[in-house]
Amino acid sequence: MFALEFPSIDNLVKWPEYLFEGTFAGFNKISLILVLAMLIPTVLFLLAKRDLVPRGIQNIVESIVEFVENQIIMAAIGPEGMKYLPLLLSIFLFVFFGNIFEVIPTFQMPANARMANPLILAVVVWVTFIGAGIKAQGFGGFMKSSLVPPGTPAALLPLMMLIEFISTFLLRPFGLAVRLFANMLAGHILLVTFGVLCITLWTLSPLVVVLPFSFGMLVALTGFEMMVAFLQAFIFALLAAVYINLSIHAH
Amino acid sequence: MSLLLIIAAEGPAKEADNPILPVVPELFWSALTFAAFFLLIKFVLLPPVKRTMDLRAEAIRSDLDAAEAAKASASSAAGDVDDQLAGARAEAAAVIDAARSEAETERQSILAQANAEVAKMKELAEADLAAARSQAMDQVRPKVAELATSAASKAMDRTIDVEAARPIVDSYLSNSN
Repeated sequence: MFALEFPSIDNLVKWPEYLFEGTFAGFNKISLILVLAMLIPTVLFLLAKRDLVPRGIQNIVESIVEFVENQIIMAAIGPEGMKYLPLLLSIFLFVFFGNIFEVIPTFQMPANARMANPLILAVVVWVTFIGAGIKAQGFGGFMKSSLVPPGTPAALLPLMMLIEFISTFLLRPFGLAVRLFANMLAGHILLVTFGVLCITLWTLSPLVVVLPFSFGMLVALTGFEMMVAFLQAFIFALLAAVYINLSIHAH
Repeated sequence: MSLLLIIAAEGPAKEADNPILPVVPELFWSALTFAAFFLLIKFVLLPPVKRTMDLRAEAIRSDLDAAEAAKASASSAAGDVDDQLAGARAEAAAVIDAARSEAETERQSILAQANAEVAKMKELAEADLAAARSQAMDQVRPKVAELATSAASKAMDRTIDVEAARPIVDSYLSNSN
């Protein structure tokens, strides 16, 4: 009678395809969120006026651009990193709007709670920081600065190079992708858990007195997830900038 | 009782893969939408926003420079005014000193002139006084001589010639002065 029937993980993260079912372009809720994560900031940028004294949406758009410039690029790379503004701004906005659908009614699913989007973005960052490193230091210089820590004894070089290779070229993108994916999936499961708990308590009359506490937690966690949505976008873009900075500068 | 969440109402997707692993359609849409978004940001959306922000930064920088120049100019003008004020004060002090010195000289001159005039007037007055006295003596002397001679005549009970006694009376009067 008091059993809590929790939906399976497949019910939480897998969505049926609405269009192109069964093809490589099968369009489901995640795809829709990704399209919206592209369209919403695009519309915001298009609606922003070009006044010297900013108002309304222009304020929001310019604040976002300034945030990425000052808190991500200047903090992690410096003035020379400004050429990466389009990429880092795209990553920040795409991750944020992909995440924020976690708390938007009827969607209530972050696109980044599926591995595909974090993986694609991590691959983009991976390609970018390798390309930036090769461009800045040349292939040999980049590989040397990436794989050979300064002051490494000759005897330890093979081992260190192996460790650095795994760390730089495999774990960095993997860590980027998994951090975002795991955080958003955990948040999603947390919200679902309290949602299920609220529904269950509502239908179990003896325990309905506990419902306000559970509902309060659900509301609080929804606010928390909004913060996480922003924080994960910021961390992803900041780490991308840090990796680019590490690539373009030799030890 | 069976519970289903709103978010789970659509039911699971067909594939029974590991839910953690990425699936090809989502990879495709992710790559497509991000690539489109990046290209839009880079070539369409960001440049005008950056241009506006740069224009504003330039306008602010220009205004700040102008304000700084105006401040420097005002500071310089204030310095000039201070210099002019100090010069005027020094000039005024010099004029005052010169005037004071001139006045002192004038005062001394007037004082000396007045003293000289006073001395001259004093001399004249003394001369007038002496002349008046002499004139008075001259007028009084015959009467005194007559009076003295008359008195002496009565006292001595004999007639004394006034003219003979005049030198004696004159000598007496002269000595009594």
